[in-house]
Amino acid sequence: MVEIEIDGQLVNAEPGEMLIAVTDREGITVPRFCYHKKLSISASCRMCLVDVEGAPKPQPACSTPIADGMKIHTQNERAKASQKAVMEFLLINHPLDCPICDQGGECELQDVAVEYGSDVSRFSEGKRLVAPSDIGPLIQTDMTRCIHCTRCVRFGSEIAGIMEMGGTGRGEDLKIEPFLAEGITSELSGNMIDVCPVGALTSKPFRYELRSWQMNAVESIARHDLTGSNLYAQTYKGKVKRVVSGDNDNINETWISDRDRFSYEGLAHEDRLLYPQIKVEGQWKEVEWSVALDYAVKGLKNNILNSRNAQKLGGLASATATTEELYLMQKMLRELGCENLDYRLNVKNLDKTIHLPSNIKLAKLEQVDYALVVGANLRLEQPMINHRLCKAQLAGAVMNALSVKEFDFNYPVGNTIVSPNQIASTLAGVLKHVLEAKNQEIPEYLSTLTPSSEATDLANALLNSEQAVIILGEHVLNNTQANSIANLITEIAKHSNSKTLNVSATANALGAQRVSFTPNSTGMNVNDMLNAEMSAFLLLDVIPEYDFHHVDSALAALSKEDVFVVSLNSFGNELVSQYADVILPMAAMYETSGTHINIDHKLQSFSAAVSAPGEAKPAWKILKVLADLLELPGFHYESSAQVLSEVAHQSEVDHEYDSSINLDEATPAIETIWMHSPYQTDELLRHASSLQASKIGQMNAASMSQATADVLSLKSGDRYLGVPVDITDTTADQCVFVSSNQATNMGGLS
Amino acid sequence: MISNKAKKQIDAWVAKYPEGRQSSAVMEALKIVQAENNNQLTHDNIQAVADYLDMPGIAAAEVATFYENYNHQPMGKHVIRFCHNISCMLNGADDLIAHLETKLGVKTGEVSKDGLVSVKKVECLGACVGAPMFQIGDQYYENLTIEKIDEIVDGLK
Ligand code: SF4
Ligand code: FES
Ligand code: FES
Repeated sequence: MVEIEIDGQLVNAEPGEMLIAVTDREGITVPRFCYHKKLSISASCRMCLVDVEGAPKPQPACSTPIADGMKIHTQNERAKASQKAVMEFLLINHPLDCPICDQGGECELQDVAVEYGSDVSRFSEGKRLVAPSDIGPLIQTDMTRCIHCTRCVRFGSEIAGIMEMGGTGRGEDLKIEPFLAEGITSELSGNMIDVCPVGALTSKPFRYELRSWQMNAVESIARHDLTGSNLYAQTYKGKVKRVVSGDNDNINETWISDRDRFSYEGLAHEDRLLYPQIKVEGQWKEVEWSVALDYAVKGLKNNILNSRNAQKLGGLASATATTEELYLMQKMLRELGCENLDYRLNVKNLDKTIHLPSNIKLAKLEQVDYALVVGANLRLEQPMINHRLCKAQLAGAVMNALSVKEFDFNYPVGNTIVSPNQIASTLAGVLKHVLEAKNQEIPEYLSTLTPSSEATDLANALLNSEQAVIILGEHVLNNTQANSIANLITEIAKHSNSKTLNVSATANALGAQRVSFTPNSTGMNVNDMLNAEMSAFLLLDVIPEYDFHHVDSALAALSKEDVFVVSLNSFGNELVSQYADVILPMAAMYETSGTHINIDHKLQSFSAAVSAPGEAKPAWKILKVLADLLELPGFHYESSAQVLSEVAHQSEVDHEYDSSINLDEATPAIETIWMHSPYQTDELLRHASSLQASKIGQMNAASMSQATADVLSLKSGDRYLGVPVDITDTTADQCVFVSSNQATNMGGLS
Repeated sequence: MISNKAKKQIDAWVAKYPEGRQSSAVMEALKIVQAENNNQLTHDNIQAVADYLDMPGIAAAEVATFYENYNHQPMGKHVIRFCHNISCMLNGADDLIAHLETKLGVKTGEVSKDGLVSVKKVECLGACVGAPMFQIGDQYYENLTIEKIDEIVDGLK
């Protein structure tokens, strides 16, 4: 610590830290454009000039390191004159079209110009004009307004991990633009809107909608992945009009993914369910809530309760639901004496599921020196987790992926590409090599195994690292050896002193686990239910063609003549209308209060930013009223917070799991790994039109190797289960990796 | 996209820089690729250079558009690189450029009808003492006048 003097005031600071960081901490205003606390320093705009005693010229506060005894003036004549001069220069080419600029009212240039600008310009020459360019459906550009601060450029190379924007030309012809005709494709691109200090980059879906001061900003939590990014929903007259990022250094720092930023668009989709509906003699009728609820209760009573047949009732929920919703639903089912409940609808085989703890915190991920990513397209599936790894890599960490397909990480990754049935054996090889290196006993199941050279390399990389993490992703979920893979990772981590991170189930899956939204040994899991003789189902936000692994058996089970189905949904869906008997319209994200549990096991509660459209109601209220009508005790909640405090008082149930490792299981000749596009993982996203129009939203391909294509007699451009075939040598043999943006019935592959 | 001969030349430049710093060779690589491409760099050429040097396309484009040495349109056999920076400007470069444009019937950046000459405005070439000046190939021509320009240009074949 050294002592310096700023504007006559004594201040403590670390030697070497930049002056602007100190003034920011002390609440002393220094104007700036190019400086951004999370980006490298470029010191190019010169707006932050201050007077440092002893220095011959004014110094930029953003790139002047602190030294003991420094005396700084941010407000004296010299500082003010410099700031005013820079402002005049910056405005020379700026169009000053604030009245038609979306940034108006939240523009750093506007604010600083009011403070430091002059009211007349001495510049009478012509201004520079930059032709408009289309860089994609998410970001609107007006590059004539650009002040060349290069924040967006640095954001690309330092945070998004790919440099997409750049400065071409020179002098007066300098232009900030992307090189590729397809525009900006990063999954984090929307952050450029936040970092751009002027109206050069603004939100395209929000264009010409409103002024920032007309909206209320409501703190909220993103629910599309395991991060739970902090953000603000900006609302106007009961509608979410825009989403911007919030700050939380332990979670999303100051960034959010495009998925979190633009999903709100789905809220206003015409498919929203506005009124309760009941099906009478095959015809749908919109009715009052009381009628619909009575109908639901009567149906449940007739079909199960009167005959004391609660074990013929099944409850299924989407993992996007809030913790409170899931808690109430399980409580209601269990009060009815029903132990058939599940949220793991997309898992093929629930007898052997993945059990792997996550024991490293998000913020710590950027400190690892080695990461092994098993079966994940991390960048698109968990963008903010990937961002932490990207930072680790930039700091020198080594990254490896063990996968059936090469994915496009935004940092260098060593790829080990193996068929689905070799993932377990490769990891077994890693384990054996680690055990040998540590002089540990080799267990029976590894005795005959010879580690492949790839396995030895992966093991050595682990052994050479000090802080390693092994990440298990979603692609392994339905691998025949899924549980062995998870258990092998546990063993490897144990013996190599590594951490593990389980991203195989996303959204609020941890919330579902917290409230035990899975059956105990007396109940049925989802796949058991689909094959049993059921009489009724209660469904929470379930969309069959996306959510079930076994779509066909799900549709068959739900559509049976004598099965009574009560479905809570926020969007209309044709298949739901076919099998349901009552559809209760529920509030979507931003319309309900609740709690999301993120990968750090952090409970993050949010309030409703707006109320749901039409007659739709928050699902926790619907479930509560339903329970009341069913005359169940203990549902006198007045708020979701009350529900949550009850959850907090429940002890967490430790589920027993199978820790066995079996390398001899029969594996299919060709395994299909079916992933929905990252912008289709829940109902709100599927209805968010700009995201769907983006490059990532348009991803639709069934990748396979030439050998696999030969076995299946397919050519490039053919269709495999409705998806265009892409033959590539970056996909392992014996597997088809589908990344689809289509609603399809084919997701369930036996 | 890049010939093997050009790749060899680029590799020689890459070898001069520390390992992992291959992108430092981008200026030379662009020059080499431009030379084998009718003295012009297309979008695809720039991308090819970027791919070859394992750097983002936009980063190569920043270099390719910053320096006047790189051409982004078709060029004539001879490129007259006319300095219009401060010393030359003060000594009448703008009028001389206008004369040249009328004489050749082209605007700066275009190619004369016979494909022989194009004119390009460039920044200071470090020959201010002989301003106004231009460069053709490796040759500097200084203290230019209308007569001198006519003589030089008429002599181009
Ligand atoms: S577009 Fe915005 S962020 Fe990018 S350089 Fe221009 S002013 Fe800065
Ligand atoms: S903020 Fe310091 S130079 Fe731009
Ligand atoms: S200004 Fe023309 S050579 Fe320097």
